[in-house]
This record gives sequence, structure tokens and C-alpha cells, in this order.
Amino acid sequence: MKNLKSIFIYTFLSLAAIVSIFPFLWMLVSITNKSVDVTQGRLIPGTHLIENMKTLFATVDIVPALMNSAIIAIITTILTLLLASLAGYGFEIHRSKGKDIVFNILLLSMMIPFAAIMVPLYRMFGSISDTAPFLGIDSLGAVILPTATTAFFIFFFRQNTKMFPKDLVEAGRIDGLSEIGVFFRIYMPTMKTTYAAAAIISFMNSWNNYLWPLVILQSPEKRTIPLLISNLGSSYAPDYGVIMSAIVIATLPTALVFFLMQKHFVAGMMGSVKG
Amino acid sequence: MKKFYLMLVLLVGMAVLAACSSGDEEASGGSSEGSSSVDTITAWAWDPAFNIAALEKAKEAYSGDGDFEVNIIENAQDDIIQKLNTGLSSGTTKGMPNIVLIEDYRAQSFLQAYPDAFHPLTDVINSNDFADYKIATTSFDGEQYGLPFDSGVAGLYVRTDYLEEAGYTPEDLTNITWDEYIEIGKKVKEATGKNMLTLDPNDLGQIRMMIQTNGSWYVDEDGSTPNLAGNESLEKAFETYKKMMDADIGKIVSDWSQFVGAFNSGDVASVPTGNWITPSIKQAADQSGKWAVVPMPRLDMEGAVNASNLGGSSWYILNVDGKEQAADFMLNTFGSNVDLYQTLVKDIGALGTYSAAAEGDAYAVEDEFFGGQQLLSDLSSWTDEIPGVNYGLHTYAIEDILVTGMQDYLNGTELKTVLENVQGQAEAQLK
Repeated sequence: MKNLKSIFIYTFLSLAAIVSIFPFLWMLVSITNKSVDVTQGRLIPGTHLIENMKTLFATVDIVPALMNSAIIAIITTILTLLLASLAGYGFEIHRSKGKDIVFNILLLSMMIPFAAIMVPLYRMFGSISDTAPFLGIDSLGAVILPTATTAFFIFFFRQNTKMFPKDLVEAGRIDGLSEIGVFFRIYMPTMKTTYAAAAIISFMNSWNNYLWPLVILQSPEKRTIPLLISNLGSSYAPDYGVIMSAIVIATLPTALVFFLMQKHFVAGMMGSVKG
Repeated sequence: MKKFYLMLVLLVGMAVLAACSSGDEEASGGSSEGSSSVDTITAWAWDPAFNIAALEKAKEAYSGDGDFEVNIIENAQDDIIQKLNTGLSSGTTKGMPNIVLIEDYRAQSFLQAYPDAFHPLTDVINSNDFADYKIATTSFDGEQYGLPFDSGVAGLYVRTDYLEEAGYTPEDLTNITWDEYIEIGKKVKEATGKNMLTLDPNDLGQIRMMIQTNGSWYVDEDGSTPNLAGNESLEKAFETYKKMMDADIGKIVSDWSQFVGAFNSGDVASVPTGNWITPSIKQAADQSGKWAVVPMPRLDMEGAVNASNLGGSSWYILNVDGKEQAADFMLNTFGSNVDLYQTLVKDIGALGTYSAAAEGDAYAVEDEFFGGQQLLSDLSSWTDEIPGVNYGLHTYAIEDILVTGMQDYLNGTELKTVLENVQGQAEAQLK
């Protein structure tokens, strides 16, 4: 009976694994095939890998796009971790009725889809374009600012802070630490897993962000990776082998970040569920 | 110590942010405040092999006396729509280009939604110089806004070798009706086992091409009232579509890559679509000499012609600083330069709709891939016969509704009921 059950479970899990791995497999196979083979659904690795890579690097500026994406994702992640954890810490440790109301209003803002605030946002950035060009339309600063911290991350840190032993704060104060000192020297090291989880989510969000960079960035040299890929597909006769190559290159950094921090990520997510 | 590191990180962050801005001064030409003359005009278009290449050729061919740089930027079509919509509805012209390419099906909705955002070309170009059917879609409220560009003239691309196996020649498929086409399709499938065409249930381009052969569209002349229930051409097109399904001559595809894959791998005997598919067809070099292009089949109705259109786009000039220069650039290139159009067909296979250009030698060239057919001059002569229709404001919105209607119809619902339903939905949604 027990055997039967485990057979059932393993079959189900294997199916689920195949379904989730197949797209990646197909992507990896496709970068070695010609466009014609990709459209015909060929699943056997071919010999076109080097040609695809050559065409990719010859036709588009993928390196600058990777740099842009990296700059945006890293700065956004650092800002998010810092600002959201400070806010989450403040909301939970220095709790008051008033702050709870503010927090609830903040949570409500999670329900507003980005598309709804995009036009006013564009207008705002348009109006500061002349006075502060580094934050105006067509600047990387304008991509970073609206996503520098979001209600989701504040919520995420606050939930996790619920597990943080408040006695530690007291102990720190008695030992003569300032509030800032308590945050940086006690809270931050203790909450390492939460930071790791937030870092992965924030990095991935920022790396894959498409809509806002699309509307706010205009010059080709400032394009991020998702915009570049979208462009590759714009022609009437797209080269799917080359597009797949670009997608593989674009996927590598997020995969790398995830695998490096996987252990912490799982622990951090568990924490937020328990909280 | 930790604190120090954090401060450091913050400082570095700020420095990078500031560094990102350094390139801004020279970039983003086109919309600086103050003087209306600019040094750089910006143009947005999609497809590097087609529209972008055409712009590059135009830049080389520009013979006017304006002194400016042309900055050509490639964006995917959907991206251009998104960027234009956001930019124009925010009311700021910052970051907007001077010249932009818009697909004809979408042009009217842009012109109506942002009437002041576009620069009229009525006094700049002569609209009689262009194919008639393009004018209705590129003008609004009596003003000419678009400079008609590529022709979406449709043709029936056929595999001559498959037809031969079934005992047909391309002549047998010339100037036929869709009903005759289905009969031939059945025979071809019997003889070769190949499907006659691909059908994508989510893309009713097939229906659009069919109804335009009879001068009909999803909307009335006014461009906004849905014209679905009681539209005889649409009824006929739906019936024809169902016949194709019932005859089992269509290979079902669900996206562009499958569509291209189907004819590249020789799975279908014909491809009824816009002429811009030519490069994709030629992609399968081993099929050279096995293709021919014949006029589009027509609906089996009084007044229908063997010419239709799918897609196609036109240039628009935005009402931002530099518009006079942009207009001058367009007039001296796409607006009057016959030689440019010769280069366009020769080098990139882009078929324009500037009527005078069709007389040139480049159009008479024989295409070996299509068995020596004078493809461009054929396509160009069909262009003149395309019935002009006002595509109006809602082509794609209505099509989304029609897609579900088509499913209902294929599943057995009465056609009249289906069309009344979609008419009701369209009226409710597009109020």
C-alpha cells in the first residue's frame, strides 16, 4: 500500500518536473539550431550554436544591455533591501496604532496595478526631465526610482520581523547601542535569510521588469535585456535561434543568483510563511 | 564598521545614478523646449530587415536642403504602441519621436484619441500619388495625416509541386472564389496528404482578407459602429471558414512561429497572406522554384474582387519640435522619390504604395524563387484593385470578440445568433 502511494507520488512529481523543465530544455536545444528548425519544433541539439552566437553579437549590442540591466538590478536591490527593511523594522519594533493605519494604507497600494499609475508616473518624470536629467525620461535613474522599494517588500520584512526576538533590541540598548546601531549590528545579521530571500526576489523583479523600462527609456544604448529581446522578435521573419540565444544569456544571471542564494532563499520564505 | 560599509554602498549607488545621466544631453533629440528647429529628428519603426532598412535607404536618398541628423530607432511594433499610448496620454511630448510608423489597422484610433498630437500632411504630400485604398485609413476628419508606406497587398502563395501532384496548375487557382479554393484543397489533400493552408483560431486575418475582397469591414463607414450582425460579407466569410474546417484542409497553428514553420517545412500547399511574408517563404531555400503567387481568392458574392490586403503601415509625423523638418524629410524621400522606391524593392523587397514607382525597372524583375514570376509587378497591379475600406477604430478589439464568436459557431451555434451576440458585445464594449 505504501509502495503504491509512493509510486503515485513519484509519477505525479516526475510529470510536474518534466512540465516545468521542458521549456528550459527546449530553450537550450533551440540555441543550437537554425531558425527554420526551431519553428519546426526540432528537439535534437544541432550544430548552429556558434553561428547563432555570432549573429547575436554582430546584430545587437547585448553587452551594453546586460550592463544596463545589471546596474539597474543591483542598485534597485540594494535600495530595496535597505529601505524596505528599515521600514519593516520600524513598523514592527516601534509599533503604534497610527503606524498600523499607515501600514494598512500602504498595503492597499499593492492592489493598484502598475499599468494604472504608469501614465501619471510618466508625466511626473517628464516634468522633472529638465531640472534633473539623471531622473528624467530616458535615464536609468527613472527606471530605478519607482521600484526602489515597494509595499510588498515592506510587508515582507515586517512579517519576518515578527519572528525577530525583541529582547535582542533591549539587550542592545542596555549595552549602549543607538537605535541605528541596533538595526545595523543586531537586526541585520540576525535576519540574513530574510535579506537573501528579498534580494533574490528584488533582483529577479528588476532584471525581468519590462513595462516601465519600455516606456521610460528611449535611446537604444540605454535598453535593458528584456527590451532588447522584445526587439529581436519585432521582424516579419524573426531568427528564433538568435532570439533563444539572447534569452539564454538573459536567464543566466537570475539563475546564478538563485542557485547561489537558494539555501537562504528557502529559509527566508519559510520564515515569512510561519510569521 | 557595518555602518561605514552601508554608507559606502549608498554613496556608490548615488554616484552610479548620477553617472547614468551623463549621456542625456546629446541623446533624445526631437523634443527640446524653445526653438522649433532641431538638429536631430528621431524615427521609430519595427523590423530591421524591412522598415528600418527602408528608413536607412531614405536617409541616404534624402535630397532636401534641411540640415539635420536622422536618428533611426528600432522598437517592436507592440512596444511602439505602448510607448506612444503612454507618452501621448500623459500629455507630455518629452521622449516622443518626430516620425513614427503605425500599422493601418490601428491608425484611426491613434488619430482619434490624440487629434492634436499628429502633424497634418495635407499640404505636404499629394494624396493622389498613393494607392487609393491607403488614403481612407491614413486620413482623419478631412485631413491627411499619414504618408502611406508599405503595401499589405495579399496574395495566395502556392506550392506548384503539390498542385501538380493533384493535377492542377497555378492558373487553375487564379481568380477563383474561396469555395473553389476549398474544392481544390480537398483534391490536393487527397493526392498529397498535405493540408491546403494554416488556420490560427486566435488570428482572424483570414476573415479580414475575405471580407475586404467585397469592400466590407468589421465597422461601418463611420469607423466606429460595429457592423457584424447582418453583414453579408462577414456571414459568407464565417461560412467559408467553417467549410474549410469541415473539409479538414486546414492545419491548426497557434502562433507566428508555427505558422512560419508550417510552410517552411512543406506542411501546407498554400499560404494566403500579405506580401510581406515573401522573405519568410524564401527562408526555406530548398523550396526555390516550387512556389508561385496568384491573386487572392474572392468571396463568392456579387461585387467581390480578387484583391485584398493584410496589414501594411504608414508614416506619421508627431506634432513636436522639428515637425517641419520631419515633414521635409518625408516629402523628399517616401513622398516623391521614385528612385528610392526602386531601391526599396530591389534591396529589401519592400513594396511601397507610391503609384508612380511601379513603372520602374526594379518592379519588372523576374524572381527565380517563384519560378521566374514578375512577382513585384503582379503584386503592385493587384494593389490598385484592393477595395478601400475604413478600418476604423476597433479592428483588434472587435476581433477579440469575434474569436470567441467563431468558436461558438464552429461548435454548432447558429450563425445568425453568433453574429447577433458579437454585435451586442461589441456595442456594449465599445460605447
